[in-house]
Amino acid sequence: MIFDPILDFFRGKAVTIPPMDGALKPNTLLEDAKILANVARPDCLAYDGASVIYASGNALHRLGVEEPVNTYGSVITALAISPRGQLAVGLNSGAVMLGGETLTGFTCPTALCFAGDDLLVCNGSENVAAENWVTDLMGHKASGSIWRVDATAGSRVCLARGLAYPNGVVAEAQSKRIVFSESWRHRLAVIPANGGAVTSVLPRLPAYPCRITPTPSGYLLALFAPLNRLVEFVLQEDDYRADMLREIESRYWIAPTLTAAHSFLEPLQNGGVKSMGVHKPWSPTRSYGLLVTLDADFRPVSSFHSRANGRYHGVTSAIEVAGNYIVASKGGNAILSIDARVGES
Amino acid sequence: MAPIIEMRNITKSYRGVPAVKNVDFTLEKGEIHALLGENGAGKSTLTKIIAGVVEASSGEMKHQGQTVSYGTPFEALSHGIAMVFQETSLVPSMTVAQNIYLGEEKFLNRLRGIYISAQQFLQSLNFTVDPTATVATLGAAKRQMVEIARAVHHKADVIIFDEPTATLTPEEKRHFFALMRRLKSSGVSIIFITHALEEALAHATRISILRDGELVASGKASEFDRDKVVRAMVGRNLTNEIYNRKRTAETIRKRGAQVLSVRDISMGSMVRNTSFSIFERQITGIFGLIGSGRTETFKVVSGINKRDFLRGGEIEFDGRPVRYTVPAEAVRDGIVYVTEDRKLEGFFETMSIAENFYSGVLAAGLEKHSIISFREMRAIAADWSKRLDVKAINSNARVVELSGGNQQKVVIGKGLAQKPRLVIFDEPTRGVDVGAIAEIHQFINQLADDGLAVVVISSYLPEIMNLSDRILVCRQGRVVEEVSPLEASEEKIMFAAVH
Repeated sequence: MIFDPILDFFRGKAVTIPPMDGALKPNTLLEDAKILANVARPDCLAYDGASVIYASGNALHRLGVEEPVNTYGSVITALAISPRGQLAVGLNSGAVMLGGETLTGFTCPTALCFAGDDLLVCNGSENVAAENWVTDLMGHKASGSIWRVDATAGSRVCLARGLAYPNGVVAEAQSKRIVFSESWRHRLAVIPANGGAVTSVLPRLPAYPCRITPTPSGYLLALFAPLNRLVEFVLQEDDYRADMLREIESRYWIAPTLTAAHSFLEPLQNGGVKSMGVHKPWSPTRSYGLLVTLDADFRPVSSFHSRANGRYHGVTSAIEVAGNYIVASKGGNAILSIDARVGES
Repeated sequence: MAPIIEMRNITKSYRGVPAVKNVDFTLEKGEIHALLGENGAGKSTLTKIIAGVVEASSGEMKHQGQTVSYGTPFEALSHGIAMVFQETSLVPSMTVAQNIYLGEEKFLNRLRGIYISAQQFLQSLNFTVDPTATVATLGAAKRQMVEIARAVHHKADVIIFDEPTATLTPEEKRHFFALMRRLKSSGVSIIFITHALEEALAHATRISILRDGELVASGKASEFDRDKVVRAMVGRNLTNEIYNRKRTAETIRKRGAQVLSVRDISMGSMVRNTSFSIFERQITGIFGLIGSGRTETFKVVSGINKRDFLRGGEIEFDGRPVRYTVPAEAVRDGIVYVTEDRKLEGFFETMSIAENFYSGVLAAGLEKHSIISFREMRAIAADWSKRLDVKAINSNARVVELSGGNQQKVVIGKGLAQKPRLVIFDEPTRGVDVGAIAEIHQFINQLADDGLAVVVISSYLPEIMNLSDRILVCRQGRVVEEVSPLEASEEKIMFAAVH
């Protein structure tokens, strides 16, 4: 009806959460996954052709080796290895270490990816550091950008601006497109390789997307926290949110989190309120574990879940190595392995 | 003590199809007897025989030791048997008080007097209904209350409640069950049909379970638990040729692209914050008991009903937000709803088969000419009659003259002539003979193989399990569970539907 846009103004916009159904139907495959290592806050998985490399705090480790490969002056927030073995590391301080060089001028490097000789850098926000992402979300910011850095000359060009926390990036092998996840807009989007208009390829995800990595059959998308009605409601209530940010410690905010806290001070624990021994079904979860496999057209094919009552929440990174998905559960302090054939559905 | 109602070998057939078969049923004085079963198990038919709404084809019924056969509900009521119907039988243009006193009027009536006594009576039942309100202005729950009040007012010694709590709020339910216990203690016998197993287990003295028209279990409520009830309700013989298709991972179709995304849609109390997706190249089965909101949800999707004005949720079709105000808009976008009530909403019964098919084409705006072309109409009719194997003398035959199965095929053909992308079948094989069921199932499968998104809403579990590539279970106005056919069992689906 021609009056619908006008009427919709009066109807108000509904706060709707996309359902987890179809390929995203909940299961416990992530919860039941094999544990490769119990490490503190693992993140930024990469494969150098010989072993899996991961970040844990300031240190870079090889999987299965206790001694770190390298340590940095700040928490590692992004990592990429080029086909030629060149290492790029993003830090919470904003610096990006490329070979022996330090690239400055970024505030929040959230993801890195080599595209030929160039390095793609996701700068999540101009206002906050990567470890402080929740402030960016609660502040309704959209100051992220994607940059192409010439790995040899060090020159850089901005490909897209005004993004709502770009948190993962991949350059398509065949076409000249760059696909990235935009966490606060709950979508995967695409831009031409040389920059240009941003278009959605996978909109309306039921969780906040994070790193995206290629696999032989498509892509792996890590999603680090679930969307829920309560948080969406808080994001709409500006006065309430301003008071909350001002008066309450950030770990008690009604906001997404990587891990379910176990403090009795927190009213909603581990995705559920138990009252008189009964688990209240309505209580929203602030953390969740979700990994989604995508086909070459970025359509979800299968998913792996650690549900509200699970342990392996806050999945920030995943890669496929020799027919296994290696998954970093930053919230669950574990690196997991799942047989890639299990997720066929 | 002799039972107040005793039925022996009761059978009731509709055109040779038995709705209840050789049922023995007894109702003791002062007991609450819960009657359970799936949709179409014969519960309503059995109670309608007791209440004189329909007559048994064979068998014997005794009321207080006397062999009886009530020809009308009035006759049964005058002998103390009252029935509260699922579909309310009140007169909408009269007030609540007038409805309660209907049939008991004195020669001269003082309206004020009726209102006062009705007010006192309703208060004694803890029902908050205004006796001066016209019934047409009341919601479903209040109408149900008036219906219950009327049955109680007639001082019947047997009261039959058919799904009395489906529309009541928890508070109203509490009052209702208190009333039921009060009636029981005063010696009234109650038959209580419900889909809510907790209600039956909590409040009934005895439980009887019907399945496919036969009484499969009967005993004290204390002898039953939830699992036993569910098993008895669904434990049918699945050897029927139509429904014995073995589902394997290979026979389940892979998902295509997402066609429909429904997020948090609400419509009154029938659809409440439901969310789901529908994919092309797949049959999505929707299972739910009556009142679970499954039909209403898809009527909202197809523009027949409107979702709530404010905070009614969002629907995206092909990635585009839509809000249909009339079905024609949905039809033009490629959404077709094949109704469950074909006689009322499905076809023009006095029009020919060809005209019915062509009406679908006209509705979608797919006609080739600006004026009606009889040649085009005949060509379309010939094409669809052949594809669907409609058995009729010719395409000029009126639809009302066809059998149920062929009528259903006309309704399906009328919808498919609109060249849809999403087809919603609501109870596609209800009232259809076995031969036609197989043909309709084959046709539905063919549609999904051809790449359409297909939704099949059914309250018949074997049909859902046989057809679907994924199963969504509805309860209380929302989709509560998604089940893969590989892991589905009747017990599992029923469990999700009633818990």
